[in-house]
Amino acid sequence: MSFLIRQFFRSAIVLIAFALGCQTTTLKQTEKTKPANKPVAFAGTYKAILSDPVLIRNATILTGTGEQLRNTSILLLDGRISAIGENLKAPGNAVSLDVRGKWLTPGLIDVHSHLGVYPSPEHEANQDGNEATSPNTAEVWAEHSVYTQDPQFTLALAGGITSLQILPGSANLFGGRGVTLKNIPARNVQAMKFPEAPHSLKMACGENPKRVYGQNKQAPASRMANVAGYRSAWIAATEYNRKWDKYYASLENKEEVDPPTRDLQLETLGEVLRGNILVHNHCYRAEEMAVMLDIAKEFGYRITAFHHAIEAYKIPDLLAKNGVCAAMWPEWWGFKHEAFDMVEENVAMVDHGGACAIVHTDSAITIQHLNQEAAKVMASGNKAGYSVSRAAAIKWITLNAAQALGIDKQTGSIEIGKMADIVLWDGDPFSVFSKAEKVYIDGALMFDRHDQTRQPVSDFDLGILDPAGERL
Amino acid sequence: MRIFNTATITVCFVFSCLCVSAGELLIENAKIYTASEQGTIENGYILIQDNKIAKVGERRDFDFTGQTIDAEGRSITPGLVNSYTQLGLVEINAVSHSVDFVTEDKLFGPSFKISSAINPASTAIPHNRINGLTHAIVVPEPGHLLFAGYGAAIRLAHAENMILDDSLALFINFAAQGSKLSGGSRASAYSKLRQSLLDAQDYMSNRKESRRGQWRDYFLPLHDLEALLPILKGDKQVVITVHRASDIRLVLSLQKEFKLKVILAGASEAWLVADQISAAGVPVIIDPMANLLGDFDQLAARLDSASRLQSAGVTLLFTGVAWRNTHSAYTVRQAAGNAVAYGLTVEDAIKAMSSNPARVFGYADRFGSIESGKIADLVIWDGHPLEILTRADSVIMNGKPVAMVSRSTRLRDRYRELNTLYPPAYQK
Repeated sequence: MSFLIRQFFRSAIVLIAFALGCQTTTLKQTEKTKPANKPVAFAGTYKAILSDPVLIRNATILTGTGEQLRNTSILLLDGRISAIGENLKAPGNAVSLDVRGKWLTPGLIDVHSHLGVYPSPEHEANQDGNEATSPNTAEVWAEHSVYTQDPQFTLALAGGITSLQILPGSANLFGGRGVTLKNIPARNVQAMKFPEAPHSLKMACGENPKRVYGQNKQAPASRMANVAGYRSAWIAATEYNRKWDKYYASLENKEEVDPPTRDLQLETLGEVLRGNILVHNHCYRAEEMAVMLDIAKEFGYRITAFHHAIEAYKIPDLLAKNGVCAAMWPEWWGFKHEAFDMVEENVAMVDHGGACAIVHTDSAITIQHLNQEAAKVMASGNKAGYSVSRAAAIKWITLNAAQALGIDKQTGSIEIGKMADIVLWDGDPFSVFSKAEKVYIDGALMFDRHDQTRQPVSDFDLGILDPAGERL
Repeated sequence: MRIFNTATITVCFVFSCLCVSAGELLIENAKIYTASEQGTIENGYILIQDNKIAKVGERRDFDFTGQTIDAEGRSITPGLVNSYTQLGLVEINAVSHSVDFVTEDKLFGPSFKISSAINPASTAIPHNRINGLTHAIVVPEPGHLLFAGYGAAIRLAHAENMILDDSLALFINFAAQGSKLSGGSRASAYSKLRQSLLDAQDYMSNRKESRRGQWRDYFLPLHDLEALLPILKGDKQVVITVHRASDIRLVLSLQKEFKLKVILAGASEAWLVADQISAAGVPVIIDPMANLLGDFDQLAARLDSASRLQSAGVTLLFTGVAWRNTHSAYTVRQAAGNAVAYGLTVEDAIKAMSSNPARVFGYADRFGSIESGKIADLVIWDGHPLEILTRADSVIMNGKPVAMVSRSTRLRDRYRELNTLYPPAYQK
């Protein structure tokens, strides 16, 4: 099978669920409830690396909130952005950099990645992103597949990626839980988990589930069976939540009752209904997105984002009204019929229509150039008259992405108090010739293009090409 | 409402150009990347007569009263070439009857020719054309043998004569895929390839007897051996996809043994043996952005491969980006830009998607550079020709601006305004 086709299947397998809305929802959320006596499984252990304060002076800053600031300085202190302005004073131990002519952006965020679950090198033993054995595998968690030594993480870091969502594939109606990571080299995935980031549920519309199961004469073999599959599962999850609610009520009444049996699949779906897990929904076609929105209404949950939303430009009004983000590629198309109606201005048109627009990659190549992916849409959008500024376009790969992952209170923009997840670019971040020069995560210098001691090397890379030398 | 104004202006520009019949066209005030020995002209003109470039220079020394385009300082490059695509061979990858780049039929090995499957009406062709791609190499994939068959060269025109060469070069896969199709070991792939070439040599010397069935058996059927003769005679080139440095050395040894005209493709680890490739005079087709360790053959893949190869004197031909390479084959421009970000010069990057492929594939006298006598295939860019933020303002093919319209732009325009009385289906 050709590379292209393999990539296509891989991508097809990657479905998107949606994350938290980019806008305040108008839907009534089920009140968040957390089973009280359940320990947090696989709790995140990420700890920021302690670092001296950093004062970056005279930068051009794209804040991620829609502003472009000139000759501005920022102070990174105790892992946070502690000051933004001119003539900032820094503590005596601060590293001070004059970066005139260079640009700062928030750390880039990819909402759709399979790094670690489809790592390099690519081979059967490493294909851990798709549990294509049943149309509903809401019980699986992508984080349990993540190969932390995937060399692709460090390549993405060199491209300025500071956070990313790792999703299961799109073979299934319910692919499983996704996880948001800090792009930090670590010995286990728990140490990469973005603090307090909600889990996501990966769902998939359209061709992939019906192809994967239909070819085995198993449901779903049609789009209508896809929908029946979602609805049946939500009915079961509603029932499951009811049992647990009854149990909690009994506990409060000091009644002695046995808890219901835990069911991992229904637990994931139930937590979506309780508003604790964000739905990221791989969905290409406009009419399918509209159907998915109605299913969400029927069962009282929210769709946070549609991914691979090739036809989002046909329904920006519907997306805006429902507070759903659309995550899109700039120009990938033609690999499936549902990816045939691509327009290069898609992202700009969704943004123009008032909905939350995101540029995502689903690719270990383009995640290294996410800034260029956004630049492509800026170019096509401007050419078509949508007047997109750099300050606006950067949101597609920073703050909007953070919103979709439910981490926008912590990262995604250059604002006082936020995590110091920052990229210093050696030029205009929308230029093909510019490169991420320094990448800070929680104020720690995790990558420096000019300092080999700040260029992480995965275990896989080490000595692979030359026992005594470096691969890159 | 700026959107509509802009759109209107664009449309008018295109149509006004289209209204001009063939004849003379002058483009002035342009920065011209000639991709020829003339280098880059900071502010110059191009005179087009009929479908050809008649004159290129700095200061115009003749009077002209015909149709003129003032480029207002914009950049012009030759129409771009992607040297490794499946354009015209696939409409939708997941719709199998619209995919023609591979055959599983055991009847065909090297004798498989892809050109008859090329669809000039593919929607991917106008989509790429309006983004500046004017030519492409169209490549078959291997089905049951490491021989994929003969590829073609095309112009991105919707015309019957869009195929420039229906047997451009023989494509062979000597990477992981070729090994897999050869029994699972690269040693068997090597043996199979070498034995096929030895058999073809033997067949060439004993053709009459062979065809009468009075000679020995070969591993390949005679019609496939026939298809190997042009490469043994040096009439046709062989494009070999190969990644691992040691495999590249093997390919170079075959090139020497059989005096083949070889082009390497993929070539993730080519930079490790760049001097040997250069000494052998072998050009390389690479996607400069393909830096993943895709398999264990590609562990040395890196972003500065292009500049390392160029420094060693290797002729570069570009393709890319990754699996967008057919439907959005014009992203080769992004790949070229990234090669520059990692050390290549702008001029060398442009040549790798214009004059280099034209020369290597035998079209130096027809396209690939902005020189007098060449067919006028040009792109006027609205910024630096390698920048992502740049788009094609106008694409000129055969001396005439093409309509900047594709199925994709029509969908875009249909959905610009949603609050219409009638549904979008009434917006054409």
